[in-house]
Amino acid sequence: MKRFITALLIGTATLAVAAPKPVTLLNVSYDPTREFYVDFNAAFARHWETTTGQKVTIKQSHGGSGKQARSVIDGLPADLVTLALAYDIDAISEKAKLIPASWQSRLPHNSSPYFSTIVFLVRKGNPKEIKDWDDLVKPGISVITPNPKTSGGARWNYLAAWEFAKRRNGGDESKAREFVSALFKNVPVLDSGARGATTTFVQREIGDVFLSWENEAFLALKEFGADKLEIVVPSISILAEPPVTVIDKVVDRRGTRAVAEAYLNFLYSEEGQDLAGKHFYRPRLPAAAQKYATQFADVALFTIDEAFGGWKQAQETHFSDGGVFDQIYK
Amino acid sequence: MNRQQYGWLLALGGLVWWTANTGVRAETADPKWQELDQKVRILERKLELADEAAAAKAKETPTLSAGPGGFSLASADKAFSLRLRGFVQADGRVYADDEGDRLSDTFLLRRARIILDAQLGKHFAARIAPDFGGGQSQLQDAYVDFKGSDALNLRVGRTKVPLGLERLQSSTERLFNETALVTALTPNRDEGILLYGALGKGVLEYHLGAFNGGPDGASIDSDTNDEFDLAARVWLTPFKHSDAEALQGLSFGLAGTVGEQSGTTNAPGLPTYRTTGQNTFFSYRTSTNAADTAVADGDRTRIAPQVYYAVGPWSLHGEYIISEQDVGNGSGSASLEQEAWQLATSWVLTGEKPSLKGVSPAKPFDPAKGQWGAFELKARVGELSIDDAAFEGGYAQATRSARSAEAVGGGLNWYLTRNAKLSLDYEQTTFDGGAADGDRPDEKIVIARAQVSF
Repeated sequence: MKRFITALLIGTATLAVAAPKPVTLLNVSYDPTREFYVDFNAAFARHWETTTGQKVTIKQSHGGSGKQARSVIDGLPADLVTLALAYDIDAISEKAKLIPASWQSRLPHNSSPYFSTIVFLVRKGNPKEIKDWDDLVKPGISVITPNPKTSGGARWNYLAAWEFAKRRNGGDESKAREFVSALFKNVPVLDSGARGATTTFVQREIGDVFLSWENEAFLALKEFGADKLEIVVPSISILAEPPVTVIDKVVDRRGTRAVAEAYLNFLYSEEGQDLAGKHFYRPRLPAAAQKYATQFADVALFTIDEAFGGWKQAQETHFSDGGVFDQIYK
Repeated sequence: MNRQQYGWLLALGGLVWWTANTGVRAETADPKWQELDQKVRILERKLELADEAAAAKAKETPTLSAGPGGFSLASADKAFSLRLRGFVQADGRVYADDEGDRLSDTFLLRRARIILDAQLGKHFAARIAPDFGGGQSQLQDAYVDFKGSDALNLRVGRTKVPLGLERLQSSTERLFNETALVTALTPNRDEGILLYGALGKGVLEYHLGAFNGGPDGASIDSDTNDEFDLAARVWLTPFKHSDAEALQGLSFGLAGTVGEQSGTTNAPGLPTYRTTGQNTFFSYRTSTNAADTAVADGDRTRIAPQVYYAVGPWSLHGEYIISEQDVGNGSGSASLEQEAWQLATSWVLTGEKPSLKGVSPAKPFDPAKGQWGAFELKARVGELSIDDAAFEGGYAQATRSARSAEAVGGGLNWYLTRNAKLSLDYEQTTFDGGAADGDRPDEKIVIARAQVSF
């Protein structure tokens, strides 16, 4: 009996010493990723515990991408961010110096493990016959989009509309400005984030068309019923690449770099990519992309770099204080 | 558009909804009805968003507050705050039977203090408290707190030495206007480092610190030698959370200091002891001649058991202190033991429960409502005895310093509100020795005080 108790004590002590301490991560993300990261976090926690024996709990924070970036700049201790656009993460680098300026080159595909685009969500039967961007500026059309000053998705919306009008008018920027100005005259409510705008359109039944992340549109269809809503894919849209990164100063301070980096790498894994496709993000991995190809429509996508010279320039021209958006939406 | 107009539109929207859901379906297909419906929905959503924005902004907006506990400015999450408090004590002091007008009747601004408390995040806090009483500027408290938890905190700077119970009370919360003789044996404020906390939800409080080491009754600003005093105090309220209501207000504790002090002719490092009227009745012998000057010369130890009990409107406060000090002069050295004690009691006539934090009136002063605040009767008795060896060894002169002092006092406290208090004390102190012709004359003092604190 004495031997048994001694062995038990030694065994317990050994286990206590050997088992790594549980760890927590905070993933600060934007609005429409909630459901995806709920599933992804569970998958990663299983993967991490299986490979390292360590339990990991991932906390999520969601909101408008710009607002979320400001929270991190103001001190929200995010181990990693998964935001809607690179500019918001650039701001974390420039204003708070929490990550190096070269953060986007640390992971494949500009640190965007999945991508998406902007589509239209309309009422079932498309009663206002909205088919393309130019239908949005017609009199009597009510358009729902969040505020580009606070929402990453809204900035994608705005830029997609701008580029459509520019191409339609032979590259004339002034025509593009008139077009976007007319479009925002048809916007009755500006929510601060994509999820709020979904609520406005779907639950409050306001507006005729909702300019939405593709995954958010599919999610609304799934949640609220294909008998009430349908997706319209415009002739051209923007390649929306939501990027991810660890927040170096936070993970180094908290000692969570290894698990945070593994978390982001897992986004590129087969399981991570499959989950992205399942949640209506377009996967990068060919196998996953193939698997989910049928759920995404073919659409001509342009990039932010080719149309606007990158996020920095687009931000300064259109969304900075006093920029074009402030001038057209008063 | 104001909220009232929004309200009308919402009411109209309600009408639209009602008609749309009570069989008037034909109209809902009408574009005009649909347009109106959309307008109402938009207004409703805008109100919803405005409320959300207001709620979010409220979470981020610093708060400015004012109340009986002072004035404060705090960040939205309360992690950072600045609290302004303070108090004024204005006295009138009259001596009775003062033959020869030895003691001066006077009006006195006893204390005029500003207290600034800063909370700097979860783990750091600071206090700065200057006092301008008596027309002088003196820094009373100035310290930094490193807050770990209820059980473990660290204070560095100038603060009260944890020894005497009455000394540790705020001067605004003490039962009498002036401290009892027993408190003359406790050091006042000192620079040092203090570990403190509370365990068992306040059942046990502890203090453990190292200080420069000041004489009894004194506040000092720096040390005069290389040694530090160690101070420790435990304070138990064992029935604080029990069902035995009669015992919930019983607290007792033990405190002590140990240290080694050495003085010089210019800075003897020894105390003087004062009466309620702040008149010195005992001092060690000083002289320009080093051989006749008593100085601190070795160990100093203080032991202070203490008790406080409050039940219903009644309270009892008891303290005993023995202060043992090695002294020396040109012809020898001795270890002197000074002892003091006090028993004080009070009865709140208006029924409120007294505590070491004073009395909070159940019906604050408001004559229009027939409310007059709280009234408390009080009495105390105490004594301070000087070691005979102080006189036998020539460390003090019996013709100038008393061998003992006994004080009996009583009075009335009128707590008008939590912030305003009027009090009237009478105390008679009798002495053994202390005069060329025998005993020093009795001190009979009346102290009236008007106090406002916030």
